[in-house]
Amino acid sequence: MRKLSFASGIALAVLAFVVPALADDAKPLAGQSITVLLPSPQGATIAADFEKATGIHVDLQTLTWDDIRPKLVTALLAGTAPADVTEFDWSWTGQFAAAGWYLPLQDVIDKDTVADIGVAKIFTVDDNLLGVPYTNDFRVMLVNKKHFADAGITKMPTTLDELVADAKQIKAKGITQYPIGLPLSPTEGASTSWYLLTKAEGGDLFDKDWKPLFLTPDSAGYKAMALELQMLKDGLVDPASTGLKDSQINDTMFAKGLTSIMISGEPGRLGQMNDPKQSSVAGQVEAIVVPTASGTTRSYGLPEALGIPKVSQNREAAIAFVKWFTSKQFQIENYANGVLPTRTSALADLNAAGKLQSGDALVAQSKTVEPLFAQGTPTWYPQFSSAVNTAINGVAKGQLTVDQAMKNIADATQKAMTQ
Amino acid sequence: MTAAAATIPGRKRGAGSNADALLGMLLVAPIVLVMAALVFFPLADTFWDSLHRVNPMQPGTPFIGLANYTNMLTDNEANTSWFNTFLYVVIAVSVETVVGIAGAALLNQVKVGRRWLLAAIILPWALPGVVNATIWLWIYQPGAGLLNGILVAFGLPFDNHVWFNDKTSAIIAVVVVHIWRMLPLTIVIVLAAMQSIPGELYEAARIDGANRLSMFGSITLPLVRSAIAIAMTNSTVAAFNFFDEAWVLAGSSLDTRPILVQIYLEAFQNLHFSYGMAMSLVVTLVSLAVSLVYVVRVYRNTRLE
Repeated sequence: MRKLSFASGIALAVLAFVVPALADDAKPLAGQSITVLLPSPQGATIAADFEKATGIHVDLQTLTWDDIRPKLVTALLAGTAPADVTEFDWSWTGQFAAAGWYLPLQDVIDKDTVADIGVAKIFTVDDNLLGVPYTNDFRVMLVNKKHFADAGITKMPTTLDELVADAKQIKAKGITQYPIGLPLSPTEGASTSWYLLTKAEGGDLFDKDWKPLFLTPDSAGYKAMALELQMLKDGLVDPASTGLKDSQINDTMFAKGLTSIMISGEPGRLGQMNDPKQSSVAGQVEAIVVPTASGTTRSYGLPEALGIPKVSQNREAAIAFVKWFTSKQFQIENYANGVLPTRTSALADLNAAGKLQSGDALVAQSKTVEPLFAQGTPTWYPQFSSAVNTAINGVAKGQLTVDQAMKNIADATQKAMTQ
Repeated sequence: MTAAAATIPGRKRGAGSNADALLGMLLVAPIVLVMAALVFFPLADTFWDSLHRVNPMQPGTPFIGLANYTNMLTDNEANTSWFNTFLYVVIAVSVETVVGIAGAALLNQVKVGRRWLLAAIILPWALPGVVNATIWLWIYQPGAGLLNGILVAFGLPFDNHVWFNDKTSAIIAVVVVHIWRMLPLTIVIVLAAMQSIPGELYEAARIDGANRLSMFGSITLPLVRSAIAIAMTNSTVAAFNFFDEAWVLAGSSLDTRPILVQIYLEAFQNLHFSYGMAMSLVVTLVSLAVSLVYVVRVYRNTRLE
């Protein structure tokens, strides 16, 4: 026994020296520190899990999504790094690529990863991959299936006409006063809803030469705006939506059962909507593929990525974080935090395991996801989006006709293109 | 002897004056340095940059002269924002001044518990603008909002009324929140001046048969004029710098968009930094010009003859 103990002691002593050395080989960047700036909320154990896996310490800072961009822009313009790894939204791609602020990652991220993440091409400009997508935001419609059932509707809508008819039936039955959740405020959510309805009407925003395709009454964009106005006039959309962001409609109306259909639904919201702690309609919410004029569903992607500013002083550790955060294993784990994987393989695994809520609809919709702009996000996107949501807000308040709104958007876009 | 006597004190005065001047310069030097480093240099640097194209999406920063300033004249959104801002300034300064003087006069009459009243009144000013605006956002809410609730309780047709769907009511709704926050400061400034008026003046006026109204017009108002001017300067600058409440209550809505929100959108959304700088400088200049009217009045009223 004493001999055994002695031998064990020697073995432990040897291990005590050898294991850390082996660990150092497995964690070559151990001891380094990086800062990461992401939108809130994020999983509580991200920093600890990453440090455990790599030995790299992470100072994870979170801000509301709207507050991140000013922080990034201010720091990057001053030539300093806002963080070693930052949020990189799809809508910033054109501007940030032109500014040359972010490190191209195509040489450090393996080709299989890029192939597995289809939406990576939205962040690729002139063959430079500027961000690795980590959250797969595309648009579906979220519906309260109980409201549909209570109204006697057994088949979910696949066309826009059916969608409007169902909404009218829900309203007529007195289930909800305003069945359709649609932001009409001068915020990004109003723009993204109009983009989706434009796709649903069977069209696109611009042609290959960036000429607007929404000016004539028979165009998809025009019809989408007219549809929004009609739904408002028909009492299907709450007039107060002129002051509500999409997140507010999600949180204060849809999650409380005050509305039945989120036109521009986020797949990542499914977990929140079906969580009894966060929602009064838990168990009633499901995603359906976007109904369209033709009946063939369409959607577009609004993914968010991780990017590394060129001025980051800790590039290797930052790259390690990006790889870890976008790995298949972590994406599957991170789904529990409401983050839908960007990897097709991770989505498929979650669906196969029955863990993906409305999995069939999400997988079906993900196959139809297009980039909003086939040529890549333009540098003038923010001005365009601002003109769109200002016009929608004006139409909803009765200050503009649809015709005037379309012209205003085209004029503002033209002006932005020439600046 | 006479000459010597005349010379020596003169020389002493000269030496003393130089020493005083030197001491004065030394005492003023820190604030001059701080102002130069934190105000005048950034202002000059901003002006210089505003004469260039500073846009990170385009290479270089070429000199473009006054283009950023002339572009403002044809920028419809900027013009609308300027119009809104002037509306805010006129409404806010007028209401804050009139109600502020009235409030200070009322508080000046309170003898018991005035400090508690003051503490309660000052609360909106002590709270951050965003907090005030969020509270008022709940008040203005169409469905469960307090304002609609009160109006409906009086039998008025304001069920689910959306205050921000009409430009006039939206402007009023936003400026009310700003006034709510800034009014206490006017009250405090004017009240402090009222409390420094010697009681003997009112006593003498009473003996001469003056009533309350005439005492207010003949004694109180003239003697608090300087304080009113300071309060008006403060209100004007605050109204020109209006951002938080408008942003929280109505976002970037053109109906209520003040010029500072427009600058924010140009600089941080569109990345037109030098255009944003030019607009910022114009706001500063206009704000200074308007405030100068009050400052000159204060100087005239308070300088020693």
